[in-house]
Amino acid sequence: MDTLVARYSRPAYHQNVFSEQEQQDLNDTVPSLKFAMPPVAHPSAWLRAATDDRSNPSCPIKIAHGTTTLAFRFQGGIIVATDSRATAGNWIASQTVKKVIEINSDLLGTMAGGAADCQYWLAWLGMQCRLHELRHKRRISVAAASKILANLVYQYKGMGLSMGTMCAGVTKEEGAALYYIDSDGTRLAGDLFCVGSGQTFAYGVLDSEYRWDLTTEEALELGSRSILAATHRDAYSGGFINLYHVKETGWEKHGFTDTNPVFWKTKLEKGEFSNVTSNFD
Amino acid sequence: MEVLLGITGKDFTLIAASKAAMRGATILKVSDDKTRQLNKHTLMAFSGEAGDTVQFAEYIQANAQLYSMRNETDLSPSALANFVRGELASSLRSRKPYNVNLLLGGVDPITHKPSLYWLDYLASLASVPYAAHGYAQYYCLSLLDKHHQPDISLERGMELLRLCADELKRRLPIDFKGLVVKAVTKDGIEVMPFDEDEVVKGT
Amino acid sequence: MASGYDRALSVFSPDGHVFQVEYAGEAVKRGTCAVGVKGTDVVVLGCEKRSAMKLQDTRITPSKIGLLDTHVCLAFAGLNADARILVDKARLEAQSHRLNLEDPVTIEYITKYVAGVQQRYTQSGGVRPFGISTLVVGFDKGSEQPRLYQTEPSGIYSAWKANAIGRSSKTVREFLERNYKEDMDREATVRLAIKSLLEVVQTGAKNIEIAIMAPGKPVEMLPVEDIENYVKNIEQEKQEEAAKKKTGRTPGTGAAAILTRGTQGESSEQ
Repeated sequence: MDTLVARYSRPAYHQNVFSEQEQQDLNDTVPSLKFAMPPVAHPSAWLRAATDDRSNPSCPIKIAHGTTTLAFRFQGGIIVATDSRATAGNWIASQTVKKVIEINSDLLGTMAGGAADCQYWLAWLGMQCRLHELRHKRRISVAAASKILANLVYQYKGMGLSMGTMCAGVTKEEGAALYYIDSDGTRLAGDLFCVGSGQTFAYGVLDSEYRWDLTTEEALELGSRSILAATHRDAYSGGFINLYHVKETGWEKHGFTDTNPVFWKTKLEKGEFSNVTSNFD
Repeated sequence: MEVLLGITGKDFTLIAASKAAMRGATILKVSDDKTRQLNKHTLMAFSGEAGDTVQFAEYIQANAQLYSMRNETDLSPSALANFVRGELASSLRSRKPYNVNLLLGGVDPITHKPSLYWLDYLASLASVPYAAHGYAQYYCLSLLDKHHQPDISLERGMELLRLCADELKRRLPIDFKGLVVKAVTKDGIEVMPFDEDEVVKGT
Repeated sequence: MASGYDRALSVFSPDGHVFQVEYAGEAVKRGTCAVGVKGTDVVVLGCEKRSAMKLQDTRITPSKIGLLDTHVCLAFAGLNADARILVDKARLEAQSHRLNLEDPVTIEYITKYVAGVQQRYTQSGGVRPFGISTLVVGFDKGSEQPRLYQTEPSGIYSAWKANAIGRSSKTVREFLERNYKEDMDREATVRLAIKSLLEVVQTGAKNIEIAIMAPGKPVEMLPVEDIENYVKNIEQEKQEEAAKKKTGRTPGTGAAAILTRGTQGESSEQ
């Protein structure tokens, strides 16, 4: 993307010393990526026809989609929480997916949308962050990291990428920083985001009890409870609660917890989920 | 349902943009800023396709700033508006056009004359005294047709914006989470205070 | 003279020289002098201006000191026209960096970029190296630490407390080595920059340009009157010192440098 200006601004000198490609190779901080395209006239349209299970339930390729992920900033840093279910159509493909992606020791990314897209591009982002660190002799800002990803997915806009991701990190310059990036190319800084098919259920719980001055324990509990709410109501979310806390010293993992015991504990000890009952009368 | 509004007056241009960032049925952010400063006295507000908007605006911003650095002088609002139009026009005829609607407001650094330009994704360009994009056009243009005068003061300009915002709150079916308002004067660009929590009753 | 090893650029001579790059260094030595000095909370660039011809409009003739971004300043010595290209590339990179990283460039980053471009032109076919050295100064975003870097035609870059490039840079650098002090305030830093330039500029204030950078502020070009005051002040001090010594030697330490200058007067470089 740092070639954006170069690519679009009209050349100041008509007699360019280097050929376009040479210039590209010399300038590029990002190694040029080339993917094989399907041998059809309109690859993106073809991909959509083959994968869109909403308009065509018998489509040949079903991409893992449903998810609940959330992240929020508070006084003590950032909480990141996700479920762990992968679905392809109505089929539960896995109950133990890691939807929090450890980009490096200080940065976390979350995964919603196409599992492969997220895994691949967030791993790629990890590489870019490390290269930035080596080139600039300091850690990359979360703003810059998220923008690298946003610019990348924007280049692939309309070609079938499906991602809704959050980048969370704490740096000395920015403090706690949280960004939402999706495959439309949207990139937003914010305090609180929920992404995925279960987002509405998570927002419901999270919005009602969210405060900036939450203690770390309260914040972890709220993150976990919001995911639980989503796994209870959204068929495409479930499995385990993956919980992280991001601080300036890096992120800390707070367990990969089976939702079932957590659900029953919440119901029996707090009396919540009163819709679930063993009475048949 | 993004709202963009612009008003010129005696010695200023006001630009307002809704603060909601929506995706599907969810409001992701209530403090979004859909404007970018191009140079000391030119401001651009944008709406349209997610992703395209910010990418295009920041691309224009980078080029405007590059021009200022290279030439040690800022482009005038009219020069910038025509540059943006040109970029939109060539984008429109490319493989993947930018789907962006814009308001570009500013004060000429030499003559101190305020100006406002209305641009859409089809690369139309019009210099206008007041303008709106999206559904806001249907509600606000009649209001402004009635109340706007070319030599109004900044205070009167803010009053008109409040009038527009109230009507939008009353009639638009979706909450746009209020407006960010910025004023461009010969001294530069300033964020104006604009009361947000006021409830407007419908009838 | 060099048996053909200076004909194609990207060819080594048998003893490991790339002659074109070394010739570029010669072009730098013929360029007018530029100095950079770091103080505690400022950094100053000083330049020797070539004396203008009678009909030249000095008001709008481009300066040797240019802004790369609001917080980075560059001065060069060598071929004026080459510098324009290099500065333009650096400005583009500075804006591109803002666009992609949402942060302005650090001084080291843009120096490394400038040096990188210079290096590229020593290793590609059909091009000639940039006949310029540059001094890059400024403050990183949110930092109070002044920065001063130098780049050379070969693509080497290095960090300095004070340095000079261009014509008689050796004389000026040696002067700076003798007179540089830690903890200089703005006044002392500007003064040292001007004093060091006076070692090789004989015509005084009207042929000197001074740019001052402070953290978070736009660059300040010192008005000619102010430079004149400094020059007067410095001359006076020198005379007093000479009078004190009473050794009968002629005052003015820059005599040798002025002489050499006269011999190369007609060069077209700046």
